[in-house]
Amino acid sequence: MLRLKVIVPVFLLLSVLFWGCPNSKPVEPYQPTPYTIDIPKGFPTRLNIPKDNPMTVEGVELGRYLFYDGRLSGRTQPDSLMSCSTCHVQSSSFEAGINNPRFPGGIVKGLNGVATHHVMLPMINLVWNFSGYGWNGYIWPENPNPNLRNIEDMVYAAVTAKNEIDGDTTRIKNLFQSIKGYPELFGRAFGSDKVTFKNIEKAIAQFVRTLISANSKFDKYLRGEEQLNQSELHGYVLFTTEQGADCFHCHGGAGNPLFTTHLFYNNGKDTVFTDPMDRYAITGKERDIGAYKATTLRNIEFQAPYMHDGRFKTLEEVIDFYSEGLHNSPYVNPLMHHVADGGVHLTPTEKTDLINFIKTLRDDSFLTNPAFSKPDKFPDDYK
Amino acid sequence: MKFYKYLSIQLLVILTAVVVFQSGCCTGKPPEPVPPAGYLYLSFQHVVDGNPIVFDTMIYQNEAGNPYLVSEIQYFVSDFTLWKNGQALLLDKDEDIHYVDTDIPKSLYYSPSDNIYEGDYDSLTFVFGITEEKNRSFMFVNPPESYMFWPEHLGGGYHYMKLNGKWRDTNEVVQPFNFHLGIGQTYDAQGNITGFVQNYFTVHLPASSFKIVNGLTTKAVITMHVDEWFKDPNTFDFNYWGGHIMENQQAMRAAIENGHNVFSIKFE
Ligand code: HEC
Ligand code: HEC
Repeated sequence: MLRLKVIVPVFLLLSVLFWGCPNSKPVEPYQPTPYTIDIPKGFPTRLNIPKDNPMTVEGVELGRYLFYDGRLSGRTQPDSLMSCSTCHVQSSSFEAGINNPRFPGGIVKGLNGVATHHVMLPMINLVWNFSGYGWNGYIWPENPNPNLRNIEDMVYAAVTAKNEIDGDTTRIKNLFQSIKGYPELFGRAFGSDKVTFKNIEKAIAQFVRTLISANSKFDKYLRGEEQLNQSELHGYVLFTTEQGADCFHCHGGAGNPLFTTHLFYNNGKDTVFTDPMDRYAITGKERDIGAYKATTLRNIEFQAPYMHDGRFKTLEEVIDFYSEGLHNSPYVNPLMHHVADGGVHLTPTEKTDLINFIKTLRDDSFLTNPAFSKPDKFPDDYK
Repeated sequence: MKFYKYLSIQLLVILTAVVVFQSGCCTGKPPEPVPPAGYLYLSFQHVVDGNPIVFDTMIYQNEAGNPYLVSEIQYFVSDFTLWKNGQALLLDKDEDIHYVDTDIPKSLYYSPSDNIYEGDYDSLTFVFGITEEKNRSFMFVNPPESYMFWPEHLGGGYHYMKLNGKWRDTNEVVQPFNFHLGIGQTYDAQGNITGFVQNYFTVHLPASSFKIVNGLTTKAVITMHVDEWFKDPNTFDFNYWGGHIMENQQAMRAAIENGHNVFSIKFE
């Protein structure tokens, strides 16, 4: 009796204490490993990761397979395979590249043989973009249309677009359900072996968010690890001064290491604007007529052809345009404040210096990072 | 019977102990008595010639006679300070740099997190831009503030303001202007930078006495009179100064001198 008198209260006390302890969790069968993005020094700390798709190691692994697996088209015949990587090629900074053997001039075409409306955009540091994906930013987090808010939705768009993968989502999910190894990967990433298209979207989006470039010569210069040469340094000064080349207000610099604001501007290429898919198509604001996203200049040397319509084939042509080829119009953005003079008027040496600086934004480790590259084989040993 | 009665008493004691223990550990110490205090809620509006600004439309004319339009205004205000009998009370101490952007509705409101002791205050002042002590490069890593960076080469830190628009020049050509203010530079005859000039200034608001009442929020509207940037004492002529002034301390100086009466305040 006496022993019971002591044991019972002690037991009760302990059990009540433990019951109230906030750390005790029921054991879960599905426990993916969180994937942490290491934020490079000076980069924004806010990341565009939707709440319903947290990054996990398993999700990223699955996403990488799907990104590269040509069967994402829902077809298995060799001439009908297409995946993200068909157009988004790592060695070209996830653009097609102007020397792409399949797409001459870098002009990509969908499985139906029709070219995309605009040329490619790269996949660099997209996890920091909150203002809009696509040249006109038609996919953005606050979009009233819940189906056009993030990279997940871009996966759907790319897979179903006639002039891209031209796929059928039911057929695609059934195909992956039947491929040995994939259901298990879905299980580990999302807690269910049943393949859904939503989970295909989520996995690929997770992988795309890992594609981070922060190791260019310029990054090393900022970290004090490497020195820029005279020409590059002079180019940098030109890049960041209004009386120089005046690029930084839209394309960033040391204080904005993304080298873009992810915002939309009319940069003075034309006087007549007829593209039905410019920024104006999204906002309906007159100031957005002929406006497109200022792309990041990281790895830009691999991202020809340039501008949304691919009108320039080389960086030299782009610099000539900003130097003396601008066109004034009511819609040109005020930040193009040299427009009335036709450009910023650089000397040949200044042009060379500016290009040399822009090339310090080249990040070879990004172009070759094995974590971003095509897996040696797919889960069913298919290559 | 006796045992169960004993058990229920024990249980009661234990449960009470647990409740006291747990609530003590979760909510911390009993709250200290709070002196009566209220809050301040500031909103920012922008007017031209006394009327709410209309963007992207060439309907304005400045003191120099330049027809102009404004596309957007982006700026920092900082060091909000309340004054009472000559004593200063700095709000929000370290996070007191507020970014205003006419394209971002939520930036048009600022509520200092400090609660403010009840009483009558004589005036409110703030700094236009960021003081030398606080204007450190790389302190803002997140947009939109990070987009305001001022190039290292020109003095570093952040733009105080980007006021972007267009004016019609003497040849009837519509040209963009970037009325950007920040750290200025001095140059030698060869055009090399020899030093930097801090251009921020303290804004003293006329008629800014107000009352803070316990538990209540005092609201005030801070108005930027955009046209005042271009006059009094200096008539700012775009045809003379051109569309970009970041590397032109004389032009920035003229603008800053005009800044003294650009802002006004009204308590609700
Ligand atoms: C047929 C070639 C093609 C394929 C296949 C393709 N894309 Fe794209 N992608 C493009 C083009 C072209 C653009 C530029 C689109 C635009 O805005 O007009 C683009 C843009 C994007 C962007 C926006 C980047 C930015 O900076 O805004 C993302 C994200 C993207 N693609 C993801 C994907 C994913 C994920 C897949 C695979 C599911 C995929 N793409 C498959 C051609 C392709
Ligand atoms: C007013 C903002 C603005 C300024 C200033 C500006 N750009 Fe751009 N830039 C843009 C926009 C917007 C685009 C995309 C336009 C399009 O696709 O039609 C672009 C595109 C580019 C591209 C092609 C990107 C691609 O992926 O195709 C390069 C290269 C470039 N800019 C370099 C520069 C350089 C160098 C400077 C300074 C001389 C500069 N820009 C100044 C807004 C700007």
